[in-house]
Amino acid sequence: MKAPSPTRVRTIALVGNPNSGKSTLFNLLTGLRQKTGNFPGITVDLKEGRLRLPGGAEVVLTDLPGAYSLYPTSTDERMVAAILSHPDNPHYPDALIYVADVTHLEKHLLLLTQLLDLQIPVLLVLNMADTANSLGLKVHPNKLSEQLGIPVVSISSRTGENLSKLLSEIEKLLDGVKLPSKGFYSLTEVEKKLSDAVRLNTQIDNPYQALLLAHHYSWLPGLSESLRREIDAIVRDKQFNSLKHQVEETLDRYDHFTPIVREAVQYPPRFPSTVTDRIDAVLTHRWIGPAVFAVVMLLVFQAIYDWSALPMDLIEAAFSEGSNFLGAHLPEHWATGLLLDGILAGLSGVLVFVPQIAVLFFLITLLEEVGYMARVVFMFDRFMRRFGMNGRSIVSLISGGACAVPAIMSTRTIGNWKERLITILVTPFITCSARIPVYVILIGLVVPAQKVWGIFSLQSLTFAGMYVIGIASALGSGYVLKQLFRTRERSYLALELPVYRLPHWRNLWLTVWEKVRAFAIEAGRIILVISVILWALANFGPGTSLQEAQNKALAEARLQALSPEQTQNLVATYRLEASYAGQIGRHFEPLIRPLGYDWKIGIALFSSLAAREVFTGTLAVLYQLGDAESAVAERGENTAKATLRRRMQAEKFSDTGRPVYTLATAFSLLVFYALAMQCMSTLAVVRRETGSWKWPILQFAGMTLLAYLAAWAVYNVFI
Amino acid sequence: MIKRYRTVAHLKSRECARAIRIEDPALAGRLTAMGVLPGSLIEMIRPAPFGQTYYIKADGVRLALRKEEAQNILVEA
Repeated sequence: MKAPSPTRVRTIALVGNPNSGKSTLFNLLTGLRQKTGNFPGITVDLKEGRLRLPGGAEVVLTDLPGAYSLYPTSTDERMVAAILSHPDNPHYPDALIYVADVTHLEKHLLLLTQLLDLQIPVLLVLNMADTANSLGLKVHPNKLSEQLGIPVVSISSRTGENLSKLLSEIEKLLDGVKLPSKGFYSLTEVEKKLSDAVRLNTQIDNPYQALLLAHHYSWLPGLSESLRREIDAIVRDKQFNSLKHQVEETLDRYDHFTPIVREAVQYPPRFPSTVTDRIDAVLTHRWIGPAVFAVVMLLVFQAIYDWSALPMDLIEAAFSEGSNFLGAHLPEHWATGLLLDGILAGLSGVLVFVPQIAVLFFLITLLEEVGYMARVVFMFDRFMRRFGMNGRSIVSLISGGACAVPAIMSTRTIGNWKERLITILVTPFITCSARIPVYVILIGLVVPAQKVWGIFSLQSLTFAGMYVIGIASALGSGYVLKQLFRTRERSYLALELPVYRLPHWRNLWLTVWEKVRAFAIEAGRIILVISVILWALANFGPGTSLQEAQNKALAEARLQALSPEQTQNLVATYRLEASYAGQIGRHFEPLIRPLGYDWKIGIALFSSLAAREVFTGTLAVLYQLGDAESAVAERGENTAKATLRRRMQAEKFSDTGRPVYTLATAFSLLVFYALAMQCMSTLAVVRRETGSWKWPILQFAGMTLLAYLAAWAVYNVFI
Repeated sequence: MIKRYRTVAHLKSRECARAIRIEDPALAGRLTAMGVLPGSLIEMIRPAPFGQTYYIKADGVRLALRKEEAQNILVEA
């Protein structure tokens, strides 16, 4: 046990089953004073927030993931078990708040009884008091408190009912440091012997904690190798069957707490057929269910475009105005270039995607909050398993439609490692926000703006086709990976389908805020760094080559009597050709020529390594658009789009004189962008989530090779 | 093979039965933690659109189970 010292800020952890309303209570208590910590060594982020108690003391409140038991079956549950199984864990709390859904108390107290045996001070919060009243449930918190020997507060995290009472109870809990008087579960003879042996070898005093160590030693983080070996020897010696004992212990706990709940909660004679049953009769129906899902997805993606168009335009306009203003007022110096074309361009490239990402996560979280996503998981579990994933993967894949970075982080709810890994590896195939501007400009360039069957525009159909390519390659590679990976780990669905309820708006906004932050910080900083590196590569060259190129351009301009603006453009082009970036582009030309690309596209492909959307910006520079034009051209709109398109159409191969942008080249580029792994931010997140460089490297190699071969094939079909 | 027991996977839509036990120990750990216990009243609601998955209620709690999971829950005949 940690010695309670007066100087240290004390920590309280929120625990409870999934769907107990735990996170809602956390948001209610901490609001925006929370942050998602990224702790080394654990794959799941912990949310922490500060909370001021009525007496003035400040405590740290940690939101642990939802768990049913200290015997974990998912990554989330493992973390809860890891933190609470060993007092040496850095997140071991001073006290616990256990949140239980009062309408399902009979199913929600298992974990609480395990915590009672750990002797951590704990407070039971009966959530959803408002729902209980409307269902005709009669709850007697005093009886529960008496029987369990801990304080019990009945609240509603929806209405905020009784919240101040909860705060003062938390205070009393911390001040009193009164441990629960009695344990709950009596260890069997075998368990007692095992526990005693473990306690002899460790500092652990609590018999149940020692037993947990014997159950979990093989994977528990933070154990020394010698201790692991010792416990292993003890477990083998006693021939301890962990699984069997877990189940027996669980059943014994139910036998003991079910009568307590029955006495404290009076259920109505029978629950009426609820709204949820009637809604599910439609939404999970054999035929209607998937149809409704398809319509919902169409509406979601329609909303992304409709709702985010205006803010995206505003962000771009602001950056382009700001950049112009600074450009006019700052001295001509390389530092100005770094600021405007490196840093500001990078920032704008990050921020412009925020509206789309915010809208998509708003809608996904809304569907999750009301309880619909659990039904989607139920309906599509079988379908996704054919492709090596499980029903939960669907949520990640949909999120991938905004940005793969938060989408990959959301795979943590997938318990089975093989299915989670496959989901992580294939999510980047889904068409993300950054591919859209590239698709828009290329499709606008080569696909004629005509109607098919009178209603669909050919361009929109091609655009929709790009989404289909993304989904098909995600599922297809999932199928291939499923055959390649072998695992003996069990995969479960066993998912609770929560009652439909109105969304908690506070939860929604906080989740959207969190996802946008994850994108801006995880992806943003990498995009920014690469943007600066690319700026340097494009503005510096070996030796005096840049100066020579400039002189050559100036001489040529004088010869042809070009206008000052034309001269400036010519200088920019010659300089870029001579720069490191230009050399890299030329260097790669033989490699990409079979796909129909010239060295300028090579530079654009290379700069897309920062993030795909850089493609249009780079081409705008290469085809000598003014700065103001290129800023707008990134979204491929208005006159700048037309200008860039004209320049691209006029572009010819220098040796053969044939136009560069034929249908074949454009389709080849489209396919390349659909399939290639061009996002360093995603690779960084994959490395973090999988804990090794092996997977991001394989992912990069596999996707890029696939993109190369497919683009080559497409080019040769259309040429 | 002659089946001597019925499992949750055998239940027809809207049919109820009491669970007797859960066979596979690993699965039993998970299901018991979620509240599917020997003695629980299980009601089959409906199969999923692509089959192989069931929507059930265990003592009024709504759950989604795979076929393999449902087959491990033995119920009274």
